[in-house]
Amino acid sequence: MLKQVPKCKAQLDFSRKMNLFWRATIASARTKIILYTRFLSLTGLGLSFLPPLLNLGTAWVLYNIVYHQSTSTNFVSATNSSDYFSFVVVGSAFFVYVVATMFTLGRTMFWDRASGTLEAVMLTPASTLAYMTGSMISAFGTATLNLVIMVVLGTLLGFHLGSLNLSLFAVGLVFMIISLFGLGLIVNAVTLYFRDRTNTANTLTTLILVFSGIVAPLPLLPSWAQVIGSTIPFTYALNLLRQSLIATTSTASYTDAVLLIITSLAYLATGYLLLYATVKAIRRRALYALF
Amino acid sequence: MSFFRVLRAEFLKYFVQQFVTFRTAFWFLILPFANGLLFYSMYLPFSNRLVPLNALGFNVAVDIVGFTLIGQLLYTFFVGMSVAGVQFDNERSQGTFEAMLLTPASRMAIMLGVLFAAAAQYLWLIIGAVITFLIFFRLPIILNDPSALVLSVFLTYTALVSLGICLEAVFIHTRRGVMLGTMLQEPIAFVSGTILPSSAFPPLFLQLTYLIPLTLGLISVRLILLAGATLGDVLLPVFGLLAMTLVLPLLGKWLISHAEASAKVQGTVGLF
Repeated sequence: MLKQVPKCKAQLDFSRKMNLFWRATIASARTKIILYTRFLSLTGLGLSFLPPLLNLGTAWVLYNIVYHQSTSTNFVSATNSSDYFSFVVVGSAFFVYVVATMFTLGRTMFWDRASGTLEAVMLTPASTLAYMTGSMISAFGTATLNLVIMVVLGTLLGFHLGSLNLSLFAVGLVFMIISLFGLGLIVNAVTLYFRDRTNTANTLTTLILVFSGIVAPLPLLPSWAQVIGSTIPFTYALNLLRQSLIATTSTASYTDAVLLIITSLAYLATGYLLLYATVKAIRRRALYALF
Repeated sequence: MSFFRVLRAEFLKYFVQQFVTFRTAFWFLILPFANGLLFYSMYLPFSNRLVPLNALGFNVAVDIVGFTLIGQLLYTFFVGMSVAGVQFDNERSQGTFEAMLLTPASRMAIMLGVLFAAAAQYLWLIIGAVITFLIFFRLPIILNDPSALVLSVFLTYTALVSLGICLEAVFIHTRRGVMLGTMLQEPIAFVSGTILPSSAFPPLFLQLTYLIPLTLGLISVRLILLAGATLGDVLLPVFGLLAMTLVLPLLGKWLISHAEASAKVQGTVGLF
């Protein structure tokens, strides 16, 4: 009598599936954190700080020395605050997550292929999404350390908190993470499929730095730049985070919140679809291995 | 082996390999344009939309667009020179670096060939970013002495090429050349006056920044183009640039021979 071969996928109930998903997520995050600490390069760490430090230094000199804290009325009405330095501190501090998205999360599978482990990972029954979620947790965890350093440095130079709005801050932070995760999945698909080590990451990081209002509010930029900025969820996330941290009045911007939620979910859906399409395509075209 | 034949061969090799690549487009078109826009936008939140330019007896306020565009034009050339030595990393990973150093070709010709190829990539910026800036922004120019402009720009570029020769020695000496070359960019952008008016710095610190060729180039070109200065007004930075153009290649030659000898002794020429 033939034994019936159990079909694991069919027999797994939802809770077991979720259990497997989280186990794969945690395992992936642990692996990435171990790799990060084991091969920690101080020069690499320093390099990741230089662009935000340049923004911080430039903003401090312009605000305090060149223009003696005299911001325009357009700036005050756009940001609900006259403190330009604090405005840049918040932008530069949260920008570390964009760098982590592009250079760590966005190149997860690229580096796994380079180190020869991608094929083995893909042979396991672990969810690809769980694997990438773990990579995101690791990348954003280490980026949070950078954020803390930036905020401490900013505080030493004159960063001031305004009226804190915790619920707005939570919405901004959660959807910033969701949108960046979606963007990371998109970048991961591009870098993996096109074997592109730096160009995509460099280009998108630069575009987000310029067009998402990190150093100047979007309404002050030329109209064509505002159009580009409005397609980036990070722009809305930064607006909410600034509203919740440095605004002098605690008025919530519902338009920003709604646009952030819509664009974040759109990025996440695109990233999810691209992840599976890429995994399928590279399996068919035998691009898992490094040759 | 003729000096110029080696120079030409190196130039052609890297030109063919690098000129039409996305990497070149990023470093010489996307990044300068984006940086220009980024630093331009940092001036927008202030009530005064003019940048104070105080140097060599001039005390004028200039437009942000001109200030930023000139800054990016010269700074991008510096960036190109500072990372030109990455070609040696490529040679190393292709396994041809050792063979190249075994030939009797002039090291200076090799270095110059690489730097000229990097300089040719600058065409991306001239054609792309400058035209884009001219289309999107109004650029106010007060040019009274075109010969002073030509001389200043020429000497700035030659001084930066000379500095590039010195930096290339780092790429031969260590495999962390790319990292070190890249790490130079933001600090130099900050202290050289690319983004900020140099009058914002303390006097003693300001004196030190004059050791950077980019600082002298920025002062003279900005004064000539934005404040109507003549050659007589900018003689000091022009002579500084000339001195750097003459002295830095000698230093570079010594550094390169030292780096090559050191790399051969330490066995870091090959890829392993």
